[in-house]
Amino acid sequence: MATTTNYGWTTPDDTALVKDGAAAIRTLGSSVDTTTKALNPSTTLGDIEYRSSTANTNTRLGIGTTGQVLSVSGGVPAWSTLAAGGMTLISTTAFSGTSTTISSIPGTYKHLKLVIVGVYGTSGADELLRFNSDTGSNYTYSRYYVSGGSGGFDFNRQLTYFDFGSVASQTGAKEKGFKEVDIYRYTDTGGVFMSFHGLANISNTAVGSHTHGIYYGAAAVSEITFSSAATYSAGNAYLYGVN
Amino acid sequence: MTKPIIRIHNTETDEIIDREMTAAEFNQYKLDVKEAEAKQAEAEAKAISKSAILDRLGLTADELKTILG
Repeated sequence: MATTTNYGWTTPDDTALVKDGAAAIRTLGSSVDTTTKALNPSTTLGDIEYRSSTANTNTRLGIGTTGQVLSVSGGVPAWSTLAAGGMTLISTTAFSGTSTTISSIPGTYKHLKLVIVGVYGTSGADELLRFNSDTGSNYTYSRYYVSGGSGGFDFNRQLTYFDFGSVASQTGAKEKGFKEVDIYRYTDTGGVFMSFHGLANISNTAVGSHTHGIYYGAAAVSEITFSSAATYSAGNAYLYGVN
Repeated sequence: MTKPIIRIHNTETDEIIDREMTAAEFNQYKLDVKEAEAKQAEAEAKAISKSAILDRLGLTADELKTILG
């Protein structure tokens, strides 16, 4: 009996009898139907197929859920959910008193980002930033700053705090202080790199700074404290965990 | 004597505590303020010194900026 090249379907021989034609067509049709179904096992909207370990037989993969992506698992395609990325808001803290501390920061993120919005105080006093209430000589930083029409830079080695600029002393909607702080790999204990930049209005003079620093603490950063000789009158610190 | 008030926000419990500084915190606070004031005085002295030099040279701060480009 003759067969087709690719799928081995049985076809009548040249010498086969015409009277057997109907049966031959049924046999061929049945084979085509079986093969087609094996190659296209889809049953549901969104199904896709991939080749199985058996020749000429595909495996059905049902559609995943919203947001899933096609990946590979165990050598075959599979829908999977991407690991959560981006930023997660951990807390919103309103500034108050002469110091404001954000404590019990979870160590479950890769980096931390702080966005400080609308801060002003009773005077344009210097503002300090510390981690873990650590008053040791564990803060080294360099800074570029502009104050009014002049500016400068400095390098400070092994101080007991990061100089966080000054508290804005103006209360107008367009005159409060805004800062952004990035703390990278904050659970490392061999030195944590941070950077921040910000702008504040001190007695009608715009003061801006860019600072890069390293905190040489012995533990992961779990607490952040802002303090000043001024009393905070307003403003929020939004703490994000970054993955 | 009333000590300054500090705020502590626990992100785990979302509890916010406003309280007076402890004695140790207040001592550190006084040290910080003293250091900040010293830095401020140093910056102001530097500015005065710079201004005096400019006066001797007969230049304004803006003219110096132009020269330094």
